[in-house]
Amino acid sequence: MPPRKGKVANKSANGGKGNEAVQDERLQAIVMTDSFQTRFMPLTSVMPRCLLPLANVPLIEYTLEFLAKAGASEVYLVCASHADQVNEYLENSKWNLPWSPFKVSTIMSLESRSVGDAMRDIDNRGIITGDFILVSGDLVTNMEFDKALEFHRKKKAEDKDHIVTMCLSKATQFFRTRSHEPAAFILDKSNDKCLYYQDIPFASSKKKSSVAIDPELLEDVDEFVIRNDLIDCHVDICSPHVPPIFQENFDYQFLRRDFVKGVLSSDLLKKSIYAYITDDYAARAESWQTYDAISQDFIARWCYPLVLNSNLLEDQTYSYESQHIYKERDVVLAQSCKIGKHTAIGSGSKIGEGTFIENSVIGKNCQIGENIIIKNSYIWDDSVILDNSMIEHSIVASGVKIGRNVTLEDGCVIGFNVTVDDGKTIPNGTRISELPVQKMPSPFLDDGSYTDEEDISDREQKHLIEPATDLVGEGGTGYIYESDYSDIDDEDSILDRVTNTLTYRIENLYFSDDSTSSASTKHRKRRTMSTTSMTTDREAEDGLEEEDEDFEKEAIATVERAMENNHDLDTALLELNTLRMSMNVTYHEVRSATVAALLRRVYHFIATQTLGPKDAVAKVFGQWGMLFKRQAFDADEFVDLMDLILEKVSKQNFEKPEFILFSALNCLYDRDILDEDVIYQWWDGVSQDPELEKVKTLTAKWVEWLKNADEESEEEESDESESDEN
Amino acid sequence: MSSDINVTVASFIDRLKRRQISGSYNIAMETLQILKRFVSAARWSHVNDLIDQLRELGNRLERAQPTEFICGNIIRRVLAIIRDEVEEELASTMAQTTTEPMISSMFNLLQKPAVPLQKSLDQPKTDIRQVIIQGIKDLIDEIANIDDGIQQIAIDLIHDREILLTPTPDSKTVLKFLIKARERNNRNFTVLVTEGFPNNTSVAHEFAKKLSEHGIETTIIPDTAVFALMGRVGKVILGAKTVFTNGGTISSTAGVSSVCESAREFKTPVFAVAGLYKLSPLYPFDIERFVEVGGSHRVLPTMENDRVGSYNRLDTVNPVADYVPPENIDIYITNIGGFAPSFIYRVVWDNYKQEDVNLEGVQQ
Repeated sequence: MPPRKGKVANKSANGGKGNEAVQDERLQAIVMTDSFQTRFMPLTSVMPRCLLPLANVPLIEYTLEFLAKAGASEVYLVCASHADQVNEYLENSKWNLPWSPFKVSTIMSLESRSVGDAMRDIDNRGIITGDFILVSGDLVTNMEFDKALEFHRKKKAEDKDHIVTMCLSKATQFFRTRSHEPAAFILDKSNDKCLYYQDIPFASSKKKSSVAIDPELLEDVDEFVIRNDLIDCHVDICSPHVPPIFQENFDYQFLRRDFVKGVLSSDLLKKSIYAYITDDYAARAESWQTYDAISQDFIARWCYPLVLNSNLLEDQTYSYESQHIYKERDVVLAQSCKIGKHTAIGSGSKIGEGTFIENSVIGKNCQIGENIIIKNSYIWDDSVILDNSMIEHSIVASGVKIGRNVTLEDGCVIGFNVTVDDGKTIPNGTRISELPVQKMPSPFLDDGSYTDEEDISDREQKHLIEPATDLVGEGGTGYIYESDYSDIDDEDSILDRVTNTLTYRIENLYFSDDSTSSASTKHRKRRTMSTTSMTTDREAEDGLEEEDEDFEKEAIATVERAMENNHDLDTALLELNTLRMSMNVTYHEVRSATVAALLRRVYHFIATQTLGPKDAVAKVFGQWGMLFKRQAFDADEFVDLMDLILEKVSKQNFEKPEFILFSALNCLYDRDILDEDVIYQWWDGVSQDPELEKVKTLTAKWVEWLKNADEESEEEESDESESDEN
Repeated sequence: MSSDINVTVASFIDRLKRRQISGSYNIAMETLQILKRFVSAARWSHVNDLIDQLRELGNRLERAQPTEFICGNIIRRVLAIIRDEVEEELASTMAQTTTEPMISSMFNLLQKPAVPLQKSLDQPKTDIRQVIIQGIKDLIDEIANIDDGIQQIAIDLIHDREILLTPTPDSKTVLKFLIKARERNNRNFTVLVTEGFPNNTSVAHEFAKKLSEHGIETTIIPDTAVFALMGRVGKVILGAKTVFTNGGTISSTAGVSSVCESAREFKTPVFAVAGLYKLSPLYPFDIERFVEVGGSHRVLPTMENDRVGSYNRLDTVNPVADYVPPENIDIYITNIGGFAPSFIYRVVWDNYKQEDVNLEGVQQ
């Protein structure tokens, strides 16, 4: 039995010897507990996704159970958001007991913003010794992993360049647990070698897509298939070569879109990736929609032998009854209550008279009153629902109190510890959280735990959140959570409304599923676009905006660093250039960032009284102005540069902005970065904004003077001494 | 208790939960091995301590897989061995101590003190460990040789040119029994094997192939054809997974119940083969709870149902076992002989103790 081996290895590892003889048998597993997404907001602001209960069992248990079955002997959980909670959970779980089938440890990778970052972190730590399984912490599967591993080993013996086996399961295009990253796989028909990977837009999006394949990739291939019927649950068997590839390609963020595609289309790497296709159940709870679908499937025993009544947690006592009803011990059911099909009820819960429950999961110690209707909903532990309420297709997190005669319409998410007062109706798709959740255009991970204080204060000025008293009532507590984009769009809100009315499902709950890696340094435009759901177009725009801001932050930081550490000009330029290319932004942004950075520096000098305004400008622009020489190339661009300087100067709150602007421009002029023609051109077209008038005063004189000097010099070329005196 | 045995027990429980270990025989053997280690590692001051520990272990194993009765059976058997031993000891010490008056009065009989017995039991406890371990070893022998016993009895039951039907192709006992009947008596008979869709189809195919390799005429029939063919069948032979005190049985394949039902309709005799260790002292009050329900994906390929956008009204239920009531079974063939279902309770109480039926909670 596979777990046996695991245990042996485990023991030897505990003994600190690290038995080398069993190394071949050892199977390591990396679990990405963080999703690097915000789809489960607002609940994930309090709890990491992998600890959210699915059918009363934390999601991570399913993954660990799968790994135990797969025979992993060492499991590493890569934690980013809420790492402490994940760690604490694991320490107290059965996986930490001496008879756990594998040794489990957590890797704190707090800085990681994407799978790519996490992989690089893993590589840096050097924990990978052999082939390993790479999974995410929200996987639910009954896949027979032995077969996949056998396939992997066989292919590896045949093909020494084989580095990854992707385990995919078959599904039709509209299958409900289908991954949110639909993709086409191009496979060699004879040996299931993956030839090419292309992510494609959602079935529901209006975009037409095409797959462009380099003909070279198809050389030497007899027959190939293009498949769109595969659920990709990100279960990969990787060779130890994989993390270094991420390391080398520091811009890889995503496992599939960057890594697989990158490896396959690279001429240099010459590595191959195979696809193992299984019929078994495999799905990831990556959105409310899939959460719903997987819960239902799990309850309906689709991933047998992984079922609720095998009691994954030590303290669970579920038993099975016909029609897929699961009940724990100490459930109190009133005589006249009706428990319909596909229902699970946790221990200590009380269901009152006349209550009807169907297709739902009720957690532990819930108090459900009388004459309540609960359909297709998920009520987590310790919730209280008072009489005559109606809950349809909603999620009610732990500790929630719902008053009498409350109606939760389709697709509500009620966050932890929210209280809803009597008689309220919560409309379609509302999300309520106990505390206001900070929203940022570039949300950090699944949660707000690393929120940058300044960032929030900036953003929140626009969005002062007030308690949603009209929704939860006077006696209630709760704040409404709006997805980041709910107020931007017209076209899409129509789309939302259409989907809302068409399908009464939780899928409508998730609109903002933008990827958080947009907050990271290296970013490509295409990425944000394709992680979005059906609302692709809208988020594409947002993606761009975000990107610019991210770039700006990053670029400013780069320039500041260069100035502080006194790098040479070339290094700074090189860094900026790399940044520019990796983020695919124009020189305009680069200039903008540089100007901002330089002015901040000047401001810093003045504010700390290290240098006077004039000296500060002269020093900073004198030394670093040369950057612009390689950031602007024609007259238009220089004009743009000057506009930027003007704009930034006015924004930077200098005491004497007019003086700073003048000295900065003068300094650049002196260094031959700006020439007269450009200055005139700029001046002619300069913005006439009244607010800027004051800033421009000195510059106006300067330009005037320049013109005069110019005229003079045209007349008399040798008259330079005079202009100098001026 | 050493942590080593704890690790073994816990990982065994985990494997039971994950259904990584299957087949009554394997589970029985593994349980016995664990019991052997458990008993030899256990410390107790009084035999009752050991009994309590074993009951607790039995309870844990039962809860790990409530539809796998073998663990519970084995533990109860071992408990019975211990209790028998204790009783014997008691009897012998009683014989020693109570030699003086034979029976003087009713009064004496009632006030027979329990105190001196306790004392006398404390002494031979090292001995008891040996006895228990020997008992477990005997049990292992018994289970390992169960098929021989059954074959001895069953061989004469099969006649020449008879048509047999077996709805449980996953039973090794049935397979061996048929092969032995063919080899030993050189009888010509035909076996019909039900297909066992969806859980046992491939097993049925394997089973049929093995039979035909041994020169037995074999036919695979779909589950639906059972009634139509029953008129021609001479005997139905099924393998039991568990036999309850009432004589009912849980079979390891779904569909057995309907086969037995139609056999009853045609007055075809139904033989159930079962090793002694499959007899369970439980009574099937709640059949639903004893029948394991398997994965829905066997019935309907998982990934082919498009259910997005509308509610799933499509339900699938896939029981992997079936309960056959005692009236549908004519005879049980065990390794110690053939018994009518109505007699099973006697055999059960020969092997188990009443007080161990419910392993939950501490006994008085």
